[in-house]
Amino acid sequence: MTFETSEPAAPAADQPVVPVAPPPSPSVPATGAAVGRPPTSEVPLVEVEGLVKYYPIMGGFLRRHVGDVKAVDGVSFWVNRGEVLGLVGESGCGKSTLGKTLIQLTPPTAGLAKLDGEPIFGKKGKDLKKLRRRMQIIFQDPVGSLNPRMPISDIIGEGLLAQADAENRWGDRKVRDKRVGDYLDAVGLRRDYTRRYPHEFSGGQRQRIGIARALALSPDFLICDEPVSALDVSIQSQILNLLLDLRREFDLTYLFIAHNLSVVQYISDRVGVMYLGKLVELAEVEELYRRPRHPYSVALLSAVPDANPRVRKKRLVLTGDVPSPAAPPSGCHFHTRCWLYEQLGQPEVCTTADPEFRDIGDGHLVACHWAEKVPTAVVASAVPTAEVTTDTVAMPAAGIPAAPPIDAGPPTEEATASGT
Amino acid sequence: MTTTTPPPAPAPTAAGAAGGVASVPLLSVRDLVVRFRTQDGTIYAVNGIDFDLAEGETLGIVGESGCGKSVTNLAIMRLLPKPAGRIERGRILLDGQDLVVLSESEIRAIRGRDVAMIFQDPMTSLNPVLTIEEQMVETIRAHRTTSKEEARARAIELLEMVGIPKPETRLKAFPHQFSGGMRQRVMIAMALALDPRLLIADEPTTALDVTIQAQILEILARLATESGTALILITHDLGVVAGMTKRINVMYAGFVVESATTPELFALPSHPYTIGLLHSIPRLDSDGDEDLIPIEGRPPDQRVEPVGCPFAPRCAWRIDDCWSDNPGLAAIDGRAAVVMTGPAATHRIACFNPPTHDEALAGRPLREGFRPAPPPGTLPEDTGFEGLGSEEALEALEPQGAEHSPLLPRDEALLDAGRDRGQYPGDADRDSHR
Repeated sequence: MTFETSEPAAPAADQPVVPVAPPPSPSVPATGAAVGRPPTSEVPLVEVEGLVKYYPIMGGFLRRHVGDVKAVDGVSFWVNRGEVLGLVGESGCGKSTLGKTLIQLTPPTAGLAKLDGEPIFGKKGKDLKKLRRRMQIIFQDPVGSLNPRMPISDIIGEGLLAQADAENRWGDRKVRDKRVGDYLDAVGLRRDYTRRYPHEFSGGQRQRIGIARALALSPDFLICDEPVSALDVSIQSQILNLLLDLRREFDLTYLFIAHNLSVVQYISDRVGVMYLGKLVELAEVEELYRRPRHPYSVALLSAVPDANPRVRKKRLVLTGDVPSPAAPPSGCHFHTRCWLYEQLGQPEVCTTADPEFRDIGDGHLVACHWAEKVPTAVVASAVPTAEVTTDTVAMPAAGIPAAPPIDAGPPTEEATASGT
Repeated sequence: MTTTTPPPAPAPTAAGAAGGVASVPLLSVRDLVVRFRTQDGTIYAVNGIDFDLAEGETLGIVGESGCGKSVTNLAIMRLLPKPAGRIERGRILLDGQDLVVLSESEIRAIRGRDVAMIFQDPMTSLNPVLTIEEQMVETIRAHRTTSKEEARARAIELLEMVGIPKPETRLKAFPHQFSGGMRQRVMIAMALALDPRLLIADEPTTALDVTIQAQILEILARLATESGTALILITHDLGVVAGMTKRINVMYAGFVVESATTPELFALPSHPYTIGLLHSIPRLDSDGDEDLIPIEGRPPDQRVEPVGCPFAPRCAWRIDDCWSDNPGLAAIDGRAAVVMTGPAATHRIACFNPPTHDEALAGRPLREGFRPAPPPGTLPEDTGFEGLGSEEALEALEPQGAEHSPLLPRDEALLDAGRDRGQYPGDADRDSHR
């Protein structure tokens, strides 16, 4: 399974790992590590550099290649060991494609990804099989992702059987069934459910089966693709807490893909925001949800209806729809819907230059030419905050302050110091 | 059982003409029971609910899938799937006119004209082979004697109202040429075409992205206010109703378990299920350190006739009576303690053992030595309640609800007492989900 290396910087996957500049954004300097990663001694579990996934559009005479749906368009990030990296974005932003490409359900167009320093893409046969054992995925649809004709023991045991060898003896039915039972137990289902079929379970239970299937191979890295969005609220919280417990129990690292901002906030340590195939912002969860610096993240946070009528947010209602990923706007993909672009008097650079995904301090990465110009007051009124809770306990009359404490330093200085 | 008396239905007036009656609510649902007869047996979908809706009021109906919120509204529109779905009992009075007994042609005249509905999936509710113009003109002309040109002008005006750019040209488009958000705008435009007095929106934004959802909610809120249309908003998302409605009914397994004004519901949630829901959703305004407290178990099988309180098997506050009797909706004051009667009672819950305010904030019972009553026929030792809140959750949640409540003075001493009280036995099991 090879992939086109049409992009200039994508090396053959079996070469020793050499960091390269992500091909589609030429403004990114070729540094030693993934963009913005603090130079720590510890190697992150997963590193992704300049990942590109285009789906070709065939059409016209003789079904020629007439264009591409740019589902993922040059994404670079890393996931530390034991961390939950959340990935949010609206439908069609490429977050699910990113997950599927990472786990090799679909080959990448270009780019580089490493698991534990070892390249992921371009592996075949035995090597690929070995890799698959270390990376697993949980899908959104708990009905569609389980074969209705298989009992639970086979659904969970199938992966074990495929990975069986002399050492683990998973080929032995007894050993396998014991392991299936252990993992059913771990996800909160009864061991004796193994002979039942998927239709005998509720949605939440099916999702638990999907989790057990992924965990049975003892992976290091788990991609959760919208694992709770098909579930009811009360069941959703059960699954979220289960995922957090399992992370502790099995030392897991998650890439948690979802569209629900509050769910991602709850489970993640760091969060990335995607828009039209690109990462536009990546930061620690607290930082991103309290001090977003990309106009899109600010608008996204302001749009979430809050289950608290007392939270007064100023909604930044974005006009129009997300443009088609087959023909994304020039320059910054977001400029067609950007409120800051309008506020700044439509600066030309937004329509001509692809903004660099740069560090504006403390590992907070933003792809916006004007990230420092995002007004603090707008952010403050758009983002609900709980930083006030400790104060207001003593002052019942205060209500929710209009402007919560926000990093007050002039953003421009901070950015020039650390941005380059 | 309920404190509101059903308004008598005096001489049914023609629905459109009875605009001036002040005392009669626009819509009043009384003891509505809906059942589905299927091959698997009877489904007890709605089990006797009552509510009123005044002219121009906005009401939210919240609940999880299968709680009967959509069925209630299909029943109001008389659109229950036939022949399985049936209104077994009860009255649905629109301006005093009982919709349940109307003939098919009579109800058809009311649908669209007096009551309009917006569905979750705009693609399946629009006809894919007709242009928007054909569909809108057809709707308008079905109820009003206007020329095609007048109907078309009205359609353009409506599309403009919901913010569709270049409505003259977009009228010629087919539904598939619109994006999801645009289709939902078209649906809203069509629903408002005949100036209905009641608009029912069933999960209008569930299929949409957050930024589009914000647009649609804004339009709905603006149009409902401008035109004075009463709105019933059905959703599973407590966040959506929080900003949109004046009053909220929380439904569970075909019952209304809590009914309150929106500020009351969020400041003083009083039914264990509502409290559970509020503790189950991660909130953006939390500081991220609070643990979610899931509601253990899952909704009841609706093929079984409900006995006792439907929430009892999942409830941490259940007492022996909960297993055998169904508590009716009763008015309470803010502390869920004293039962009040009279028209001032805006907050009603169906619960024998209402959680106190502190317990609501904590999301778990705080009473010394209290254990949820075991199911009849088992020993008390068999049940232990798991899924309890942490001390941090208790502390972090306090200011949100209580501090800013305009409804009641705060009792600091009571809260402190609750905080100092020991952890509920079994708290150590919190992390164990099995």
